Amino acid sequence: MPSIFINIILAFATALLGTLVFRSHLMSSLLCLEGMMLSMFILSTLIILNMHFTMSFMMPILLLVFAACEAAVGLALLVMVSNTYGLDYIQNLNLLQC
Amino acid sequence: MNLFSSLTLITLTILALPIAMNLTNYKNAPFALHVKSSIACAFITSLIPTTLFMFSGQEMIISNWHWMTIQTLKLSLSFKLDHFSILFVPVALFVTWSIMEFSMWYMNTDPNINQFFKYLLMFLITMMILVTANNLFQLFIGWEGVGIMSFLLIGWWYGRTDANTAALQAILYNRIGDIGFILAMAWFLLYSNTWEFQQMFMLNQDPNIIPLIGLLLAATGKSAQFGLHPWLPSAMEGPTPVSALLHSSTMVVAGIFLLIRFYPMMENNKTIQTMALCLGAITTLFTAMCALTQNDIKKIVAFSTSSQLGLMMVTIGINQPHLAFLHICNHAFFKAMLFMCSGSIIHNLNDEQDIRKMGGLFKAMPFTSSSLIIGSLALTGMPFLTGFYSKDLIIESANTSNTNAWALVITLIATSLTAIYSTRIIFYVLTNQPRFTTTININENNPLLINSIKRLAFGSIFAGFFLSYNTPPMNLPQMTMPTYLKLTALMVTITGFALAMELNLMTKNLKFKLPSNMFKFSEQLGYFPTTMHRLMPSLNLNMSQKTASLLLDLIWLEKTMPKNLSHLQMTTSIVVSNQKGLIKLYFFTFLTSILLTTLLII
Repeated sequence: MPSIFINIILAFATALLGTLVFRSHLMSSLLCLEGMMLSMFILSTLIILNMHFTMSFMMPILLLVFAACEAAVGLALLVMVSNTYGLDYIQNLNLLQC
Repeated sequence: MNLFSSLTLITLTILALPIAMNLTNYKNAPFALHVKSSIACAFITSLIPTTLFMFSGQEMIISNWHWMTIQTLKLSLSFKLDHFSILFVPVALFVTWSIMEFSMWYMNTDPNINQFFKYLLMFLITMMILVTANNLFQLFIGWEGVGIMSFLLIGWWYGRTDANTAALQAILYNRIGDIGFILAMAWFLLYSNTWEFQQMFMLNQDPNIIPLIGLLLAATGKSAQFGLHPWLPSAMEGPTPVSALLHSSTMVVAGIFLLIRFYPMMENNKTIQTMALCLGAITTLFTAMCALTQNDIKKIVAFSTSSQLGLMMVTIGINQPHLAFLHICNHAFFKAMLFMCSGSIIHNLNDEQDIRKMGGLFKAMPFTSSSLIIGSLALTGMPFLTGFYSKDLIIESANTSNTNAWALVITLIATSLTAIYSTRIIFYVLTNQPRFTTTININENNPLLINSIKRLAFGSIFAGFFLSYNTPPMNLPQMTMPTYLKLTALMVTITGFALAMELNLMTKNLKFKLPSNMFKFSEQLGYFPTTMHRLMPSLNLNMSQKTASLLLDLIWLEKTMPKNLSHLQMTTSIVVSNQKGLIKLYFFTFLTSILLTTLLII
């Protein structure tokens, strides 16, 4: 396996860690989610181009589009929380009422 | 060859002559007297064809002017003078003569008295057109004409909002009935290619139910049967002569008259007879119940009219159109007299219409009170007065025919209720001490008043006998029946009288109880006007407004997908989830599980 893959997989693992373990701001989780997406994109592009796997040339673009939508949803949720409580502290999400 | 046709046409022309006076300046002429005299002359000239009919059974159809032919339909001016119209015209003219004389006294101080007489005369002319029509088109002209004149006369005192509302209510309810009439006309036009009675009866020996339902609906609207009945008590907002003429003797019987005209078709269709029977039975019981707790003397008499109309519909339902017609003629006499006595009482007590504020008039107005009692006795069917000859025969035929037992029972109950509310009127108005103020002049010594009521009183006593024994019998009356069936009507009426007198006498000793639920039902007219007048129109209008303006944009584009989806998600997530929102814990356990899995696999 080329060493570049290990590099990128490491980047993915770091971003995953950042998504799951954060302190108080919800925004940091969302940012690391973007990082996960970015590393996945680079990894898939490299593999697909190296293997000349023509049928899957679309896949990274598709991944990009859906990740953008997902980021929008995440930001919308963040804005809703921020509207009610003023900040996006994770300890505010304790009521689960609408 | 006799003068039958000429005299009939002369009668109708005499009636129309005072209208021609409109062209001249009649403000200073005694127009009211002219109108009354012309109606009296018309009555006398119409008696001759009636006598000819009574002695020789001569009937006639006068068809003298061909108006137009539309493709295959021929419309002409034709008068049908058969058993029904020949007998009805003199009766109507006699009653109208008395009412005109009465209203010369009643409306004496009204500045528009000439216009009032003109309206009454136009009503009478349209009623005559209705009764003598030989085709449905002419009948419809008369039908609409009486509706219009009813509107103008109910709203006579147009400054009063209640009167305007009542007039509009009458028009609206009559219009719903007119839908049925137009349905029948259209059906006959399509399937029998005519509007003439003779051809219709010849071609439709086994008629379809559709035109008959249309005619029944028309009768329901015009004759205030249950469902389209509230306009009749509201129509008492008009002056008393209007109530006496239109809403007791003449106009409201137009619906029943229509059904009587169509008896060759109705006797072959059992379904429509059952429908008429049940409708009439419900009407007579319901309106008699409503009459028990009213306090306005005119409203009690109006409900009494409505109850008798239900009885006429029952008679049609048991396939006795000639008895129904006899009841129409008899009923005209005593009901008009009852209204005129009420008018005399009202005017003499300075326009007081509430029976709780009348009393002790037995000694103060002897003539009016005697005629009131005669009228009430005739109404309840006292033997050998007018009402007996039709009402008792109807109850006998209903008892001995193969008919709906429930309809029969409630008709009998309604008959006893008739006696009860008549006793109530007599008790409150005539007996005991006066309950009106002491500054009222009671004077009934006007010859106009006395003569008119006297004539109708003679009619109330003798007309039943006269009509029954001089008209040719049209069907076999039931001759044999058990004694208890024969005496049924009399027994229930006497029961009603006794019960009412007992209850009325007890009211002097009991303390006042709050009204029970049954009382409230009767007082508010069965809650029918309260619920139906606001609820149905507002539902209809709301629904149509929402459909027209909100349906496409608001509902289909906005509410169906987006709002529904979000609402569904929110509701289900609230209902279903039991989490506590410990997000960091959840993320941490996820990470731990992933790491453990990776370590175990690698």
